[in-house]
Amino acid sequence: MPSTSRPIYTETNKRRSLDELAAMVSNDAIVAVGGGLSSREPMALLRALLRKGLSGLTVVGSAHGIDIDLLCAGGALSRSCESYVGFEQDFGLAPNYRRALESGAVEVNDSCCYTLVQQLRAAIQGLPFMPIRSLRGTSFTALHPEYKRMTCPFTGEELLLVPALEPDVALIHAQYGDERGNLIIQGPPVADLLFARASRVVLATVEKIVSTEALRAMQGAVIPYFYVTALSGTPMGAHPTACYPFYAYDRRHTALYHAAARESAADFKTQYLDAFVYGVSSHEAYIESIGGDATRARLASWADGDDAWMRLYLDEAVA
Amino acid sequence: MIASCTLGEMMIAAMARTIGDGELVFHGFGSPLAQLAMHVAKRSQARRMVLIAGATYGVDPAPRFLTPTTNDWVMDCGASSSLDIEELFDLAAAGRMGRMFLSGLQIDRWGNCNVTTLGTPRTAMKLPGGGGGGNLSCDAQRVTLWTPAHRAERDAKGRRRFRLVESCDFITNLGHRDADGRPRQDYGHQGNGPEYLVTELGLFDFDAEGHMRLAALYPDTSLGDVQESTGFALRVVNCVETIAPPTRAEVKLIRLLDPLKIHEKEIRPADLVRRFDIVDTRKEPA
Repeated sequence: MPSTSRPIYTETNKRRSLDELAAMVSNDAIVAVGGGLSSREPMALLRALLRKGLSGLTVVGSAHGIDIDLLCAGGALSRSCESYVGFEQDFGLAPNYRRALESGAVEVNDSCCYTLVQQLRAAIQGLPFMPIRSLRGTSFTALHPEYKRMTCPFTGEELLLVPALEPDVALIHAQYGDERGNLIIQGPPVADLLFARASRVVLATVEKIVSTEALRAMQGAVIPYFYVTALSGTPMGAHPTACYPFYAYDRRHTALYHAAARESAADFKTQYLDAFVYGVSSHEAYIESIGGDATRARLASWADGDDAWMRLYLDEAVA
Repeated sequence: MIASCTLGEMMIAAMARTIGDGELVFHGFGSPLAQLAMHVAKRSQARRMVLIAGATYGVDPAPRFLTPTTNDWVMDCGASSSLDIEELFDLAAAGRMGRMFLSGLQIDRWGNCNVTTLGTPRTAMKLPGGGGGGNLSCDAQRVTLWTPAHRAERDAKGRRRFRLVESCDFITNLGHRDADGRPRQDYGHQGNGPEYLVTELGLFDFDAEGHMRLAALYPDTSLGDVQESTGFALRVVNCVETIAPPTRAEVKLIRLLDPLKIHEKEIRPADLVRRFDIVDTRKEPA
């Protein structure tokens, strides 16, 4: 069955509040979370989703960390199709993610980066599938019975067909945007451009909303406005992940997060969720809860030189 | 003058020596030993290597220092250009990626790796996942495997939980044979599979059947050490060699590149105290 045509968004002013953005995500949606690992993840929007009490989400993505771990802790997921969820060599395994997937509360449906890329490309091109040669011989083919094999009519070789993946909604945090919804991503865009083109709804938070003229003068990868449904000016919206050049990764806060998560689900709820998600009414209140301007200045200090930049990785949790 | 090096530095040197000049090489995230091996190789025997950093997809970056997280602007400093995610995986699928570094929480005798889930059929322990390893283990021309956690000590009940296992609970990254013993050649993949495995106990290659085979030991490890920590019948080359230490210049370079000693997070505490003499007659560059 061919899928219906994809929407475009032409409203001239797409500025919304963070809560209005969160209200546009439904229970049980397939969600593509932008950014990756310790960088440019749409954390403020995810916290808003948790405050709203969303549940039943399926998440798709490449390499992620605290974003998916937090959604697991807040009970928002029913299935994870991520390729990686962890804290790398910094803090190791993702405790809330582990608890949710090991208990069966969240279905294990891991994917692989290129599989995801090809599935998104199929959706972007309006095609039902894309072929890959890889993955045959691994256990992913048993985990994903929806992948099909075919014999190539040109070469006779066996290929694996992966179906189009059209996320219901992409959540993206970018450095800059204008009120029409043009976005600029500086530094590695990870899979965000593919997410924006493949998803039915694109919700963006940005550090700064600027004029279209100012945006055009900037360096970076561009997401054209017609893919974007709505956006919100949300400074520090990726915290505690990095959003250079505005701020580096907050290792001190992540250490505190991970220490609480390692304890137990109950401890994480009282020590972290109640303090930084449910117990704060807005993103502005969150910024205050993490130390406001002092934290902002500490994380902007990466620009002061290599020694200052390096110091940010020596930060451990404050007691 | 540097008189000795650490286990981490020994492993980095051994991994670096698996890289050929002119190869396009990629590492994943959370892989400081592989990252450093690539930077060492690029500045020694493989100056024409194309170094592509995991997570940022920067080409030939020269990071000021290694960070504990890979998708960081620090790691992208000095890159001559940046690829996007589809370009990186496309070039591997088309056969341009010469080498990939991969690891696993389980590695089996055929070089299959598991980073997805322990326990079958139910998930007893959810591992982080393999990123793009499932694809790249098939597409990259050659693969270097590594693990700094080969040693399998007995637990309180006297059992060993092996890192090097007979077979993986889940094959995230394909080695030389699948779960049914079918050789990878049958699949017609672009890549030729694992070429080496570097562990904290030894260096392995793979025989004509695709089976892992001990090829070299460290000056302070024995065949017995490897045997008791390996979960399958060990195959051994005819003449087991000794892993050579890095040169002084290489050690200096590693210490310069990783002032925060991020790579030591991969090494178990008991192995952090191991030291190896450097016998290096070459003149140290100024």
